[in-house]
Amino acid sequence: MTLSLHSEFSAPDRAVVHVGGRLDAMTFGELDEAMLALLPQLPDGGTVVIDLTGLTYISSAGLRSFAKVRKTMRAHGGHTLLLNPQPQVRKVFDIVKAVPVNEVFTSTQELDAYLDRMQRQITEGDDEA
Amino acid sequence: MVLRSIASRTAWWVLVGSTLVLGAIGGLLLALTRAQILQHTHHEAAALAANAGSQIQARVDRVAVSAQMLAAIIASRQDDAEPLLRDTLAANLDIDGLAAVFRPPLDPAAPRPHSPFVNRLDNGALSSRDLSQDANPYWNNNWFLGGLGCTGGCWQRPFFSQSRHRQLVNYSTTIERNGHPIGIINADVTLNWLHRILGSLDKPPGAYTFVLDSDGNYLAHDNPELVGQRGGTALLDALASDHAESMRLPVAQNPRARGPVWVYSAPIQGTRWRLGLVVPEYQIYASVRHIFLLSLALGLLAMLGVALITLLTIRRTMAPLGVLADRAEHVARGELDFELPAARRPDEVGRLTESFDQMRRELALHLEDLARVAREKQRLASELEIAHQIQLGLLPNAHYLDAVCAQFELHAALHPARAVGGDLYSYFMLDPQRFFVMVGDVSDKGIPAALFMAQTITLAKALAPRAQTPQNLLRLLNLELCRGNDSCMFVTLLCGLLNTGSGNLVLASAGHEPPILCGRGAPLVLEFPTGAVLGLYEDSDYPEHVLRLGRGETLLMYTDGITEASDHDERMYGIERTVESLAQVPPTAATAAYIERLLGDVDRFVADAPQADDITLLALSWHGSVLKTTEMTLDNRLPDVFAALDRCEQLLQDAGTPVALCGDMRLALEELMVNTVEYGYPDGQTGQIRLRLQPLADAVAVELIDDGVAFDPLQSADPVLTGDLADRERVGGLGIHLARTMTDEMRYTRDAQGNHLLLRFAYPTQDGSSP
Repeated sequence: MTLSLHSEFSAPDRAVVHVGGRLDAMTFGELDEAMLALLPQLPDGGTVVIDLTGLTYISSAGLRSFAKVRKTMRAHGGHTLLLNPQPQVRKVFDIVKAVPVNEVFTSTQELDAYLDRMQRQITEGDDEA
Repeated sequence: MVLRSIASRTAWWVLVGSTLVLGAIGGLLLALTRAQILQHTHHEAAALAANAGSQIQARVDRVAVSAQMLAAIIASRQDDAEPLLRDTLAANLDIDGLAAVFRPPLDPAAPRPHSPFVNRLDNGALSSRDLSQDANPYWNNNWFLGGLGCTGGCWQRPFFSQSRHRQLVNYSTTIERNGHPIGIINADVTLNWLHRILGSLDKPPGAYTFVLDSDGNYLAHDNPELVGQRGGTALLDALASDHAESMRLPVAQNPRARGPVWVYSAPIQGTRWRLGLVVPEYQIYASVRHIFLLSLALGLLAMLGVALITLLTIRRTMAPLGVLADRAEHVARGELDFELPAARRPDEVGRLTESFDQMRRELALHLEDLARVAREKQRLASELEIAHQIQLGLLPNAHYLDAVCAQFELHAALHPARAVGGDLYSYFMLDPQRFFVMVGDVSDKGIPAALFMAQTITLAKALAPRAQTPQNLLRLLNLELCRGNDSCMFVTLLCGLLNTGSGNLVLASAGHEPPILCGRGAPLVLEFPTGAVLGLYEDSDYPEHVLRLGRGETLLMYTDGITEASDHDERMYGIERTVESLAQVPPTAATAAYIERLLGDVDRFVADAPQADDITLLALSWHGSVLKTTEMTLDNRLPDVFAALDRCEQLLQDAGTPVALCGDMRLALEELMVNTVEYGYPDGQTGQIRLRLQPLADAVAVELIDDGVAFDPLQSADPVLTGDLADRERVGGLGIHLARTMTDEMRYTRDAQGNHLLLRFAYPTQDGSSP
């Protein structure tokens, strides 16, 4: 089983990347390339949601790819959110404390609620500004 | 024993009884007769004695009268005395001699008066002499002096005459003149006539007579030896008593008489004599005794005759009974084929014989019936036994251990309530990877259920290759069983298909009891939707339930014989008790332990209540596959590494290794090998990595050997984990950290071959955590 990738823009500043299969030393390059192509399309302060529902396996190489994505996004004031990691993946995340827990969501509803909240903060911030 | 038969006993008692009666009556009769005879004898004897007395008296009187007449005549005609004496002597033969003696004159010189004495000689001639001329003068003799005193005449004592050689007795009477005695007439009387009279008496046989004189001496006696002797004291005393006529003396004086005697006496008038008649007592009763003995003999003879007749009659009458008794012994031995005596008369014996015959015939019929029933029963039992064997033959072994890789184990137990039953179980390998198992319970019990069971089990085995899944199998089986099932038999069935490699189990149930999963904490009753029972509704569907047996987990399948086992109070064992019982089995126990435990508990619960239903129990354990030791060698290139990783994962999955463990192992191995490829061979050297998978009892061991530069992953520092990898300048050391974390044990050595890394991955325990 190899890596499967699929990305879409749910909003102009929000991309959703569906990652499936295995993300390891063999396949992380594919993700890196895909993200290299995708991320520049997002405006500054955009959000990339990585849907991990289909991801069954991840190794340290995969973790590094995610770290790169998050660095890139952070550099542009954007956010990287992880959705629904499977037990095996979650276990790896937990061992290496890969991402802040508030950036991992177990369901779409949870994520949507978070995004709405964030949207309101931005809007209110704009109002204040 | 002579008196064994009723006939002889009856005859014997008849004889004894009638003899007793005869004896008693005879005795009574004898006593009465004796009294009468005695009375009669008394009369006769008294009469005889009186008669004899009067005869003697008549003779004596004649003598006395003759003497007195002579005295009277001679008183006046003294001179004619001699002729008178002669005439008188000639006329009276009883007198042996007569004397007329006179007193001598007072003057001795005066001539003596002629005193003639005439006596009879032996030849009958008479001789006479003058006593006055005797030398020895008579007047001084006692007989003369005594005679002068006998005015009226008196009898003197007997004496024995020496001259005449005979016993004589004198009768003296005085010759008176002017009132003065002048002389005496003395008559010598022979006693021969007395003897003759006594002898001529018509005495009873054995009796004898005697005459006693005034002094108690025997004057005459039938026994001549006693004549002249004195009578016995007892006799004289008795005669002197008041009852002298008849008396009984215990002992007679006469030695000729034996035993007690009766004495009858009569006085002889004119004398002081007494006549006695002695009759021995035994003679009195002789005749009656004789008659009595004769009667007794005749009576006994008659009794014997009666007894004989009784014996013969009863024996003849009872003869059929003897035969019947003999035949009854035959009956007791079971021999009924025999001849019975023909019933002669319609009496009790005849009726008994007929009833016996009828009993024999009906008994024979009954026995034949019984034998037939017994044969039938035996045949049925034998057929049932064969059916039992055949049914057992339909069932596979009670224990099945996958011989190839010991990945699963099955134990089964089936206890029919009767010889044959409706419970069933079966299992078989559908293909090398899949194991089919089923447990079922046919409605009803006994032979119909057994036939339906056989049909079900055979069909299931035949249809399984076509069906491939439990759901399909139940569908196909249902259709087949519905066909021609007019008796509306049905079967509940639980089917399972086990993937022996993965422990994956697909279940489908047709109205069967839910299985119980053990070994995963408390026993779990797997309630899932079931289809209708097989054999009734053709359009039934059977939803599948999928579960995965963990390592060491056991699925328990059973029939309602377990849950509905009832004790004496009709309480059922129930599913709760079943679960409780299974919960007692330790998780590490062998598969058979579940069956032993549950069956034992059910047995204890039921105690000695009869088993109402068949009991079937089947335990299926999955041990997880056993990994074979595998070694692979690869180049230090990433594609090779990943190919090896894929292969390892496949091996582990095939061995049924839990998915989580597979993921952990893959991660650790990837990190370590990728690290080796990337950093172990600087300057683009080529090298080789060897990987060896080895199963352990509770873990999988992996050995990694590479010929790269020395590197001990245990020595590398733990990465600083801030909670966000994106914070790190350079992401490194994570792989080694991950590998160390995922491994339960890691050991490193370095030798000539290179780096040796020994890893150990433990199987997860029941709670899911790694030890």
